[in-house]
Amino acid sequence: AGAGPGVMGPAPPGAAGDPEVSEPEVMEPTLEGTGEEGKKVSSKKRTLAGSPVEGLLQPVKLSRAELYKEPTNEELNRLRETESLFHSSLLRLQLEELLKEVRLSEKKKKRIDAFLREINQRILKVPSIPEIEADRQTWLKLGSSPLQQCFTVKGRFRFLPPVQVMVVGSYLLGTCIRPDINVDVALTMPREILQDKDGLNQRYFRKRALYLAHLAHHLAQDPLFGSVRFSYSGGCHLKPSLLLRPQGKDEHLVTVRLHPCPPPDFFRPCRLLPTKNNVRSAWYRGQSPPGDEPPTPHYNTWVLQDTALESHVQLLSAVLGLSPGLKDGVALLKVWLRQRELDKGLGGFSGFLISMLVTFLVSTRKIHTTMSGYQVLRSVLQFLATTDLTVNGISLCLSSDPSLPALADFHQAFPVVFLDSSGYLNLCADVTASTYHQVQHEARLSMALLDSKADDGFQLLLMTPKPMIRAFDHILHLRPLSRLQAACHRLKLWPELQDHGGDYVTAALGPLTTLLEQGLGSRLHLLAHSRPPVPEWDISQDPPKHRDTGALTLGLLLRPEGLTSVLEMGPEADQPEAADFRQFWGSRSELRRFQDGTIREAVVWEAASMAQKRLIPQQVVTHLLALHADIPDTCVHYVGGFLDALIQGLKETSSTGEEALAAAVRCYDDLSRLLWGLEGLPLTVSAVQGIHPVLRYTEVFPPTPVWPAYSFYQRLRERASLVPRPDKPCPAYVEPMTVVCHLEGSGQWPQDAEAVRRVRAAFQLRLAEILMQQHGLQCRTTATHTDVLKDGFVFRVRVAYQREPQILREMRSPEGMISLRDTPASLRLERDTKQLPLLTSALHGLQQQHPAFSGVARLAKRWVRAQLLGEGFSNESLDLVAAALFLQPEPFFPPSSPQVGFLRFLYLVSTFDWKNSPLIVNLNSELTVEEQVEIHSSFLAARAQLPVMVIITPQDRKSSLWTQDGPSAQILQQLMVLAAEALPILEKQLMDPWGPGDIRTVFRPPLDIYDVLIHLSPRHIPRHRQAVDSPAASFCRGLFSEPRPSLLMPVLGYDPPQFYLAQLREAFGDLALFFYDQHGGQVIGVLWKPTSFQPQPFKASSTKGRMVVSQGGELVMVPNVEAILEDFAILGEGLVQNVEARSERWAV
Amino acid sequence: MVARKRKRAAREAGESLPSPPGYSAIPIKFSEKQQASHYLYVREHRVREGTKSAWPQQRTLFVLNVPPYCTEECLSRLLSPCGSIQSVELQEKPDLAESPKEPTSKFFHPKPVPGFQVAHVVFRKPGAVSAALALRGPLLVSTESHPVKTGVQKWISEYADSVLDPEALRVEVDTFMEAYDKKIAEEEAKAKEEEGVPDEEGWVKVTRRGRRSVLPRTEAASLRVLEREKRKRARKELLNFYAWQPRESKMEHLAQLRRKFEEDKQRIELMRAQRKFRPY
Repeated sequence: AGAGPGVMGPAPPGAAGDPEVSEPEVMEPTLEGTGEEGKKVSSKKRTLAGSPVEGLLQPVKLSRAELYKEPTNEELNRLRETESLFHSSLLRLQLEELLKEVRLSEKKKKRIDAFLREINQRILKVPSIPEIEADRQTWLKLGSSPLQQCFTVKGRFRFLPPVQVMVVGSYLLGTCIRPDINVDVALTMPREILQDKDGLNQRYFRKRALYLAHLAHHLAQDPLFGSVRFSYSGGCHLKPSLLLRPQGKDEHLVTVRLHPCPPPDFFRPCRLLPTKNNVRSAWYRGQSPPGDEPPTPHYNTWVLQDTALESHVQLLSAVLGLSPGLKDGVALLKVWLRQRELDKGLGGFSGFLISMLVTFLVSTRKIHTTMSGYQVLRSVLQFLATTDLTVNGISLCLSSDPSLPALADFHQAFPVVFLDSSGYLNLCADVTASTYHQVQHEARLSMALLDSKADDGFQLLLMTPKPMIRAFDHILHLRPLSRLQAACHRLKLWPELQDHGGDYVTAALGPLTTLLEQGLGSRLHLLAHSRPPVPEWDISQDPPKHRDTGALTLGLLLRPEGLTSVLEMGPEADQPEAADFRQFWGSRSELRRFQDGTIREAVVWEAASMAQKRLIPQQVVTHLLALHADIPDTCVHYVGGFLDALIQGLKETSSTGEEALAAAVRCYDDLSRLLWGLEGLPLTVSAVQGIHPVLRYTEVFPPTPVWPAYSFYQRLRERASLVPRPDKPCPAYVEPMTVVCHLEGSGQWPQDAEAVRRVRAAFQLRLAEILMQQHGLQCRTTATHTDVLKDGFVFRVRVAYQREPQILREMRSPEGMISLRDTPASLRLERDTKQLPLLTSALHGLQQQHPAFSGVARLAKRWVRAQLLGEGFSNESLDLVAAALFLQPEPFFPPSSPQVGFLRFLYLVSTFDWKNSPLIVNLNSELTVEEQVEIHSSFLAARAQLPVMVIITPQDRKSSLWTQDGPSAQILQQLMVLAAEALPILEKQLMDPWGPGDIRTVFRPPLDIYDVLIHLSPRHIPRHRQAVDSPAASFCRGLFSEPRPSLLMPVLGYDPPQFYLAQLREAFGDLALFFYDQHGGQVIGVLWKPTSFQPQPFKASSTKGRMVVSQGGELVMVPNVEAILEDFAILGEGLVQNVEARSERWAV
Repeated sequence: MVARKRKRAAREAGESLPSPPGYSAIPIKFSEKQQASHYLYVREHRVREGTKSAWPQQRTLFVLNVPPYCTEECLSRLLSPCGSIQSVELQEKPDLAESPKEPTSKFFHPKPVPGFQVAHVVFRKPGAVSAALALRGPLLVSTESHPVKTGVQKWISEYADSVLDPEALRVEVDTFMEAYDKKIAEEEAKAKEEEGVPDEEGWVKVTRRGRRSVLPRTEAASLRVLEREKRKRARKELLNFYAWQPRESKMEHLAQLRRKFEEDKQRIELMRAQRKFRPY
């Protein structure tokens, strides 16, 4: 049951125990090793799938008879239905499966029903208490208080069993989704409990809380319940609800939430209009306001919500009740919302809101009851994407009674308006404008996705979670939350506090987001905030305070084009708006004279590099918050640039290398201009194309100009070159940047491969000669390339002849027919001179469109290499994976910061189904949807011949050029495992409001899986300083920091660890795998191949490094491990510090 | 660890090392300092009757498992006590063609990185082979008198070697091209001579140098011709002419849908198995 090629992914449950399964070359995945902390390695091990067939899609084979039999009516109906109601049959099947997964099963429903009946009986049996004074003593007697402050309530309280116990909400409608099944139960309090004027000054809410407290007190003693706890219903701190869960194994099956509500018609709706005041200032603040009492729209809404529970459920069941399509649609929409974390906390876009929205669309005939779930989903998204409820509110109320309040009144009081059928209650009262804009943004993205007819729309739309940290470019946490109290005072939000019953977080949220949106202006695409749901608490504990709900987290989606500017231009100085501008920006605003002669108010931010410009929003946010909201920068934790440290150069803290790369590219442009204009070459230069990663901005550490100090080297004077000296540390690593130089066509070229190589060499020589003569550039030539030193950068110019791959392919059959057959040499040449230049220029273009591409690609490569897996993946393949994040960002928005791009890279790598789908990187959008479908199907047909990781580009539609030589299935599997482990760790660090801790944790590789560790001496590691944990001190590498003209060619491409690895792989490649981080790694991990350690019979062709031993009277060959371990040290004489054999697995 | 040491001690003390039939084993170490040794497996070079071999029979020693740091010079020094050596040839793997390599240009065919190799050692006298077979060893690759460079030392000297002399390269290119041009000129002259001259059966060879251009004899060209024919035929065909044609195309559509449906079902099945429908 060996793991065949193309096998990866978690094993089916049965295969894990099979001892043979994990045999060949399988690396045991481990938890992300944190090195220093010495964290215990988790025992979580996954093995590869059992057989090559498992988990792999096979081309479908159907017999002719089956394909062409007469269709039945039923089949025709289904086919027709699929065509008209769903997008495709695949989508239909997928949606059906998803619904099956989230729906409640009948069996569980029965158990829940039984539980509900029990609850009903218990509640009605709770004993009454006689009327008492509702003061502090009462609370104490009850032993618990679900309200934050237990003031004395004016009036009296008594407990009587509810007059009605009624299930409301999604459970009744059949639209609730797993997991977290909640059943909402409304308890109608008897009229005797309440008095007139209870709507005033929170009296109703306090009585409601007392009622619950008494219920809780009694129900807690009942053995029926596993837990009895409080929580805030919908996050509103004045409205606690009681949570009941069954005892025993059903504890996680269901949560029943009890909501007390007033008897019908107790409150007069006209007293609860958004313009009315029901919390008197005299009572709340102890003083009367100078003018009118401020209206309390939110308070009024919360009261109204309790009165409308029953009518809402009636309306919903009337509309949704009989239509399975609508129910499906609501369930799908709930999944959609939940994946986007939109339904959480106070003001979330809850499932109830979405059901009401569906009802509204049914009433306006936008949705028909016969529609399928998919169509409902589509219509609702379409509606959300195209209407703006912040400007034009909607109403379910059909009556045109003039006494009803006007929509304008609601718009005055609330940011988003959606009235229920009574015309008094705004269902979206707590939804903030930014939440609604986020919903709109998501709906627009989803609609674009559905319209693009992508094959995996289902997956992206409904199955991909979009946590805040992965969806937004930058995140900021405001903590501690108590600071917002001061902010409220500074922003003069007393009426809002009065309205929200003292909830300063909610009161401050709206004004703060508006402030930041205004300040960020053109840099911002979308600002969103998350409200973490208030945790539930035990009935014996005090309820959590506002400040206990963690941190307020804001997400910024940035606009890349706005990020480049360091200037906020204000109005001209003599305009009246100038005062507003000055007031808004405070001391940062200054008068400036501009080139067109105007004198304007302006704000200039200090930012020199791209990395700093990306972080201007941080400056804006901290400045504005401190200025207007009295929130000092110590209370703002801005998460945007923590990962920058990993792609910053040596001693460089202000830039993430974009500038250095641009400098190298400029130098390359100069050189290519020189090459174009060369005189004296027999053929003129027709094209100059870069193929080095630097020239597509994806080299992890950009090159710096080199100025060698001669005394550090041996000098080869006659060749004008420097050579490393054995008695000095290894000199700095200089990698020449490869450039392909095409010559114009000519009939003079020979038609023989060997001769072409000689002619090319002659061109290389001539090129060097002319560059030296005409431009005084130092050159060095070999048969295949010319190295050119220009302004401290070294370029490797390769002359190319267009027809050479063709010549290498030509084969002459015995009959004299010339046919073309690919050979390894022709493919390599074609790749280097044809495809690679195309790819490089395409990615260069991508960088111009998306300035964050460079950072993302480099972080991704850095991480893969830091995990010692860099050798398995070609440079280009990782660049393309990074490019895919920008070209197919769905369901996200293209990243504008390296941080979010890197997180999505980890997510993509760990979740992509490499086995069954190609990663299509649609460079320049050259592939149409039909072509992509075509690619998918030809991929499945040819799966066995393709590499394990398949990346398709418009230039390379079949063969996946860049992954041909690796990774192997095992390496890819290891990468997927590591990425899956790293992602949650890193996300947790970044979402931690009190700081990320050690951001390099996920970049340190786990070393305990290796059999042998070869420790290298830093003296001979030229890139030692690039290590993840950069050493405080390293060796001198023989460079001046100041520019000096150099007449001698510096040492090029001299990297002892790479030479050493090449030797090791050549000598012991059959026996072991070698892993190394080329960016300053100090250790080489060696993994023995278990298959090679099986004793084998003697064979002349496989004696390498083995010896003959007699085992049980038979002569067999086994690896000569002891000698090999000594060879490790011999081959790396001077470089190797010590060889540490760590496992006894190889003992024979 | 102890057990392994004991094993090794036993091995070293034992008179004859285990070796595969026909071969004898000679321990070989890098230098005195090393504890464990590799083993060269050597036998006389023999080929089956009738097959040609470039190496002389009886005088050639065939060596397996030559460690990477052991160069041709080393091997020749180590085996010279058995008799004077004519040549040593290292190869990556036992080659069936078994021919000594042609001398190659160091500019155009750089030496590959060595791994474990096989060697053919040709002695001047036949007796030396049996002397070599009886060697006890252990052979030492690097000694004080003849140190062998490895590691950093080796890479530095290799780097120095890689800095080429452009003049030498130019000379090599020029000589090669001269020879090549001469060869081409000869071929061309020959072709010109044969142009239009019928062979003994009277056939005249048509070449591309003729007066009228002819189709080049390449696969691509012949494929192009076939393609053109096919297109021509397709153009002539009538659609929806016979009654069975629309019927068949409808059936074809249905079959297409069915195939797609089956494919989708399979996909769903797979996703279900991987629990891909758990949204969170």
